[in-house]
Amino acid sequence: MVSRWKVRLALSLLAAGPAKALPAQTAGASAADLAVRLAGMTAVTGYEQRMVDTLLTLLPGSERDRAGDAVLALGTGVPRRLAACPVDETGYAVGQVRPDGWLTLHRSPVRLRVPGPLFDQQIEGQRVTVFGRRGAVPGVVAIRSIHLTRGRASIPNEPFTSDDAFVDIGAASAREVAALGVGVLSPVALAKRPHRYGSDRLAAPMAGRRAACAALLAAVRRTTAGQGAAPARGTTVVAFVVEQQLEARGLLTVATTRGPFDETWVADDSAGVAAIQAASLPAGPRAALGRVHGWAVATRYSGTAVETVSLGEVEQTSAKIADWLRGEAGQ
Amino acid sequence: MKRPVIALLGLALAGPLAAQQPARIAEAQAVLAPLIESYGVSGREGPVRATVERLLPAWARTETDTAGNLWVRVGKGDPVVVFVAHMDEIGFLVSGIRDDGSLDITRRGGFFPSLFEAEPALVHTEAGPVPGVFTPRDSAPASPRRMPGPFRVDVGTTSRAATEALGVKVGQGVTMPKHYTRLAGTRASGRAMDDRVGCTALLLALRHLDPARLRHEVVFLFSVREEIGLEGAAAAAAALGTRTRRVHAIDTFVSADSPLEPQAFAVAPIGHGPVVRALDQSSVTPPALVDSVVALARARGIPLQTGATNGGNDGSVFGPWGVPDVPIGWPLRYAHSPAEVVDLGDVAHLGDVIAALAERW
Repeated sequence: MVSRWKVRLALSLLAAGPAKALPAQTAGASAADLAVRLAGMTAVTGYEQRMVDTLLTLLPGSERDRAGDAVLALGTGVPRRLAACPVDETGYAVGQVRPDGWLTLHRSPVRLRVPGPLFDQQIEGQRVTVFGRRGAVPGVVAIRSIHLTRGRASIPNEPFTSDDAFVDIGAASAREVAALGVGVLSPVALAKRPHRYGSDRLAAPMAGRRAACAALLAAVRRTTAGQGAAPARGTTVVAFVVEQQLEARGLLTVATTRGPFDETWVADDSAGVAAIQAASLPAGPRAALGRVHGWAVATRYSGTAVETVSLGEVEQTSAKIADWLRGEAGQ
Repeated sequence: MKRPVIALLGLALAGPLAAQQPARIAEAQAVLAPLIESYGVSGREGPVRATVERLLPAWARTETDTAGNLWVRVGKGDPVVVFVAHMDEIGFLVSGIRDDGSLDITRRGGFFPSLFEAEPALVHTEAGPVPGVFTPRDSAPASPRRMPGPFRVDVGTTSRAATEALGVKVGQGVTMPKHYTRLAGTRASGRAMDDRVGCTALLLALRHLDPARLRHEVVFLFSVREEIGLEGAAAAAAALGTRTRRVHAIDTFVSADSPLEPQAFAVAPIGHGPVVRALDQSSVTPPALVDSVVALARARGIPLQTGATNGGNDGSVFGPWGVPDVPIGWPLRYAHSPAEVVDLGDVAHLGDVIAALAERW
């Protein structure tokens, strides 16, 4: 029996953002609890490994596939069904380490669901986390001091872009940066601090996608705990997929390596579900997905640092997914 | 016995910070962090005042004037020397509650509003903070402007009654949540370093000086409403009148130490020591006084920079009584943003300068 403080410690590590593998003892966690915890994590497109590590731990029996997805296969035979949730987010990688210790950025590639023109501006003058080889390193993105603009040219009218970003991690030289394990290609994202407000609202960057994954995760954990890891009928593959922003590479890898499927259900925020259903994907892999449906988590303030979901709705979505997993859904 | 002990303390303060760094940095951080995480929009400084009082040395006696300034008087007799740091921070006040439950807000102080758009919010009610979010603009055109129009706060309700039931009222302060964050080396970040670092430096000086050594009265003033027009300091200046011989505003030296800033002035790198803010938009310090401060710091082995920057300071409102203003600050990057960065060594040294001035000048 694991003591309560160890469970608390594990939960706090997960919530802190830099993903640490989480033991499976949180099996009873609700979809809402998991949504809050996953919303505190970062998985920049192409750099989802630590998030996937956590999901592998939370889903006993799952494994990492060749794309880096976390995949769990339940049952055998037909029908063959796929339930998937993307884990990645648009973020940044260090593009250059300047001799004076500031970092410049390169935005992660996006082909699906391109962020709006104010996306980069969300990091200006805010806290970010740089995921170095020795762990998470806090930093801030520089902004001009308003005092020093008085009587002079102020900041431009055009929105801030990632080319304007200088990340300050407190280092005064490139050598100090390297000593922190930070270098070119280290992933960077807004510091994640899930923010609860109202009776059941959760605000965070990518809250919708994280809540959708939490709904799927909680449903699978509940269902497999009750049914001895067997779905109602046929084969059900559950996948937490990487690189969705790169034309669904993770999802298509599951389709081509585990499919073909009769149907695929994607859990995501509303915009993500719409994007995958409208996406022009390579014909063969796309066909292996079968009919594509969505469990869409509604969001407010989408695409912002305070993207908001209702945790009550997350629980309802999770219940719907659990019904589907048991073959009871009239979806 | 007291004098040798004090002398040793003076020597310890005077030594290079690197030699004593861990303890000095830890002390600066232990004072600064709770001040950063206290909230005090201009005119609503109560929580900060409470934190300052908690961090004062046991011997210190305080008074709060009708403006809300917190006074600590040390030593006796004229002339009076004043050190003033402000407790308030930029933010918003609730100006209205709409039928849909959202809040209209008005700005307090100068800052880029884009820094608050679509960020978490806290409304500071009598019963504690009520969380919400600063709303993003409704829709962004293909080529939006950088700065948003007016935005509101959504506290997750759908009616005025529901919002009022949370204890939200017109006039309450609204901020973002704040977190003190230690960066690499001796650097730290958090919103409202301006002017919690000044408050920290006053507290460090008070902790390290011996009240019995002061040769005249020294006022350590923690002021209110600086960001909206130096209002608290103005009240204190009027109360003291011509008794004040000299005033030291202990406030931010807004530094151009950033790749984004023009390098025409304000070039004071962080980590190189406090700065005599000899010229800004509210005061010009007599050169002889600048030289004198520099000489004192040099004698004590305290690194000190001098420079010119923008902004106004609390000491300037003592001008009508003929009081010279010798502002001293510390270099700050990214002023009035959630990303403000300081060097804790500068903070510790600023406390040393203040203690030296209080004892020797």
